[in-house]
This record gives sequence, C-alpha cells and structure tokens, in this order.
Amino acid sequence: MARVYNWQIGRSMTYWYSENRPKRQFGAVFDINKCIECQTCTLACKTTWTSGRGQEFMLWNNVETKPYGSYPLAWDMQLLNRLGPQTWKGSQYTGRTIFESLPPGQRVLGTPRQDTDYAYPNVGEDEIYGEVVKGGSLSLPQQMWMFYLARICNHCTYPACLASCPRSSIYKRQEDGIVVIDQSRCRGYQECVKACPYGKVYFNPSTGTSEKCIACYPKIEQGIQPQCFVNCIGKIRVQGWINPPDRLREDNPIDYLVHVRKIALPLYPQFGLEPNVYYVPPIHVPDSFLIQMFGPGAPAAVQAYRNARHDKALAGLFALFGSTEHTIPYFKIVGDSAVALDDFRRELVRVPIYEPVHVRPERDRLYQVMRSNTT
Amino acid sequence: MSRRFALFLFALAILAGCTRQPAQDPEQIAAKFTAGPLPFEDPASKLWQQAPEHPARLLPQNLTEPMLTEPGVDIVKVRAVHNGEWVVFRLEWNDATQDLIPVTGRSCDAAAIQFPLASDGDVPDAAMGEKGKGVRILYWKAVWQDDATRAQAGRGDRIASLYPNAAIDHYPYEAGAAARVEMEKRYAPARAAANPVTVPPSGTPVQVLIAEGFGNTRVAPAQTARGRGQWVDGRWVTTIARPLRGGADLGNLEPGRRSYVAFAVWDGARAHTGSRKMRSEWTPLILRNQ
Repeated sequence: MARVYNWQIGRSMTYWYSENRPKRQFGAVFDINKCIECQTCTLACKTTWTSGRGQEFMLWNNVETKPYGSYPLAWDMQLLNRLGPQTWKGSQYTGRTIFESLPPGQRVLGTPRQDTDYAYPNVGEDEIYGEVVKGGSLSLPQQMWMFYLARICNHCTYPACLASCPRSSIYKRQEDGIVVIDQSRCRGYQECVKACPYGKVYFNPSTGTSEKCIACYPKIEQGIQPQCFVNCIGKIRVQGWINPPDRLREDNPIDYLVHVRKIALPLYPQFGLEPNVYYVPPIHVPDSFLIQMFGPGAPAAVQAYRNARHDKALAGLFALFGSTEHTIPYFKIVGDSAVALDDFRRELVRVPIYEPVHVRPERDRLYQVMRSNTT
Repeated sequence: MSRRFALFLFALAILAGCTRQPAQDPEQIAAKFTAGPLPFEDPASKLWQQAPEHPARLLPQNLTEPMLTEPGVDIVKVRAVHNGEWVVFRLEWNDATQDLIPVTGRSCDAAAIQFPLASDGDVPDAAMGEKGKGVRILYWKAVWQDDATRAQAGRGDRIASLYPNAAIDHYPYEAGAAARVEMEKRYAPARAAANPVTVPPSGTPVQVLIAEGFGNTRVAPAQTARGRGQWVDGRWVTTIARPLRGGADLGNLEPGRRSYVAFAVWDGARAHTGSRKMRSEWTPLILRNQ
C-alpha cells in the first residue's frame, strides 16, 4: 500500500498504488437542482452502449430519487453502515476511507452484490422524506423533501475498481483520466463489481466479463461531451477537465465551480476515491443529509447557489451548461455574455447570461381576455 | 473345517473383494498404465477403479490479496490413468450445489491441475509459479461445459437459462445482418476483443493457461487439453486430460519419472473466482510403466 494525497478529504491516505495523476482528468458538474429525472440521459447511454445480451440490467447512467432510491439496491446505505464513523474536522476527514478499513486479505472494503440488487431500478422513486400533514404541502419552507441524483462512473483519481483487480485489467487513461476495463484481459472475477462503492461496475453473464461506463471516450477524443451530457434536456451537466487545487485555473469551468467557488462537490468524498463528477447540491434538503452525501462544504455551496443569479461569473457558467456539445476546457465572461472556449481559446459558443424578461399585462386588451401562464 | 464353513469363508472373501474400497495412496498420485482407450470424458468409467486414489488436501489461498478468508472444499480425491501418450486425471470433490453460469455475486464451479513447465524436478512456487519458472494449468470451468451442453441440446443461451421468464422487447442488433455484426462488437466488447474467457460453446471446457506468479495468467497458444465434469448428488467428478508430450506449451511428462502436480477448486456458490480458491501444495506424480 502507498500513501497518496486526496484533496477532497484534506489529507493523505493509503491506496493500493502510488499517486499517478493523468495528464488531464475528465471532470463534470451536475446541477441537481435542475434535474427532473426524465431519464433521457439513462436512455441515451442505454441505447448507445448497453443494449446487448447480458447487459439488460446495466445502467451505466442512472437517475435515482434520494433519500430512498438506489440502484443497485442500497448501494450507498450498505457501505455507509459498514464504513464506521464518518467524521470531519473542518475540511479534513477524520474517519476511515474504504482503503483504510480493510478486512483481512482484501484490497478494499467492498460491498457484496447479487443480481437481484439490479432488479429495482426505480425503488423509492419520487418518495419524499417526511409526512405531509395538516396542509404541509401548502406551507413554505416545505419540510418534506426529495431530489434526483443522476449518476455515472466518477472516473475517480483513486479508483477502487482499479485497485481491486488482481489481474490489473483496469486502467486509468493517461490522456483523459477515464477509467476503463480492458475487455481483452478481464477474466470476470467480479472484484471490481464489489469494490466500486458507487456500484458502477457490472458483471455481464453473457460474456463472463465486467463492464462499466467509458465516459464515451470515442466522443471525448473528438472534443465532444458524452451521450448522457448532450442529451440532457434539463441542461444540468457540463463536462470539462479538472485540475488538483494547487494547479487550478480560474478560466477552467470545472476548476472554477469546484475549487474557486466550491459550489460543486464530490459524491461521498469520505469513501476516499476522489471522484471526478461534482454535484451542485439541492437547496431544499437538510444540511445533515447533504453533509453526509457531499461533505462539510455542502451548506456553503447551497448558499453560494442561492446567490448565483446575482453573480455574473456563476450565472454565466450555469448558462453554458448544455449550450454546446463540445467539451468546455475554458470560459470567459464578456459583458453580458458567457463564452465557452476550446483548447486553443477559440470560441465554441456564446450565450447571454440573463435571458431578457418580458412582463406582460395580465389582461390582453386586443382579445379582451385574461392571460394565464399555462400556455 | 466343514465344507459348509469353507464355502461361507469363500463367499465372504468374494463379498469383501466386491465391496473393497479402491486402494489409496496418500503419498503420491500413481497413474495407472492402460493399453486400451482412455476415459477422456467419462468420469464414471470402471477403469478408474483400477487406479489408486490420492486424497489431495486443499487450503484457502491466503498468500496474496484478494484472499479466501473462509475455507471451501477441503479435499479433492485424485486418480489418474495413462496410455503412454495421454494422461487423464479424475478429480472428485464434494459440492452441495451445482453452479454453472456465473452472475453477479455468484461464480461457476471450477477446478484446475497445475504442472511445472520444467521437468527437472526443481519446482517453482506452488502458488501459480514464479517469474522465470512458469507453470501450466489445465483449467476446467463448469460454464464452458454447460455452454456446449446447451448448444448441443438446442437450448437457450446463458441469459435464457438464467432468466427463463424474462421478456425482452427488442435488441437493436436484431435489426438485420449488418446491424448484428456491428452492434455485437459494441455490446459484447469482450467477445469482439477475442477475450479467451468468452470461448465458443462448441469448444472444450478445459483451457490450458500459462502463469508466472499471481495476476499474469494467460492462455497458452496451443490448446490440447480436454475433459468433462459430472455433478451428481452433491459431488463433482471431473476428468481433465493432457498429452504427455506437451512441448514448449505444456511441458513433458515421462513414464517412470517423478513429476509434480497441484490442484485448485472453486465453489461458485461461495463466489470463489480467481485467487479466491482452495489450493494444494505440490503433490508427486508418477506415471507407472505397467
């Protein structure tokens, strides 16, 4: 075991291999507040990559309802229960990661899975936390809550799947940090299926090998965002590249949201994998739940998001979500526009930060009717 | 002694001969020579009664992670016969469940015989060999045998067998011949990459593997092994055969000259795969000349 530095938990930790960050790291931000769980992302992925025999149950991209939804079944609850106390001291995690809670003879603290765990992809869908009593749905702020969590492979800096494979069949691409399984080498031991705390590696019984999200690398190689990003009708996602905090660039949209403004947070950073999909946490969920899921920075991120509309850089960046199919390595704010730039600082797309607002009188004088907003 | 008593003793002797347990050889595996046909794929052949049985003790693999932390099958009974050209082993072990097709959280039953590549008696580490001192492994896997059995019987593929009541609306690769070729590459990348674990169902259920320590197992260029397993009443009985002169790919065995073998057994119901297995130390092997 080696010692590596994980900036998401603010300390070094043990890992199976020594630190070896790729030249460039795939990074993404999902704005949970915009997701309506239409599952268009899920279907875009499904039809592209997992419509084969033996892949029926696979959802490399899925959207589940929190707090009760989970796919595979109880993927997070099982591990949260087994991991032990998950305490933070400021921004430093003082509990144990899955690489530091090793059962004897194992490479990571894994989660046993079985095929029936994939039989309930919609479990807990739209279920709220709390009861609606005495007209509770009519009062604000509402005590009941739920939110949608869209998930893909996090293409972690310290992947548990990669660490767990005794054949070294899983590797992290140096050119983009995408984690892939070598399909010519995998022998289907399923160590990675158990090891990934996010439940994002699947065993294909038809071929006898394991498979996972490849971040649509054939598209990434052409400078285009993955299928689940460009098909998102809610425009909740943006894909770019993330640097470690000591090498952040303020003109990099992912760095800016994650490191500079700290408005986008990793999913379960306490697991210790340094996942590279970041979430803008939902603004209507109790802090305790958000801290458990996104770490201690969640309350501040919610506050920053509430004020984002009045912040040109943030509002501009969110306007760039879903505005182009191209990967966005850089951005800039020019007047009232947000501009996405490619690797050579050429303009990819330009969008207004604020859409013009038209306020129409409630009564249409021409037709002598009342207007409504239900179109 | 009365004539009646003598007859009784004679009958008793016959009965004892009929019910006698096969000879055991706890020290080594002594392969019986036979000039006739070998029971390559017949674990139930009467010929096996003529070969002494060696009980090979198995231990959990606890040398490298991931380890087996709870023991599985602890003994495999081994017999062997040869005809000067091929040697066939018969492995018998207890396994309450027959696990044929691996799914998430469950693997398939399997067994393996390991040989040192060099025949000079300087054996490598019994745990998958070592760098520069390789081993050759004959690896029988229940799923490969089941694939062939189902294909011959015209029954469905693994998915149909696992989930007989599943209803699938449509697979995109069914759109036509061209789509099938293209889409199967995308949706079965291991097969498209010619991964040897995706062997065609018509092939042998025994694969010859090469290893020089843990984690670097690969398939030997020449595949000469064969065999067959039978699961009856909580017991696997499996034959695994190889040619004596395996050349550079498999190494050579010579009648009358001591060699070594080791064994491994995987229990699918306990999710044994890869290094999570029960394994033996080297066991002496002698091919009897007569």
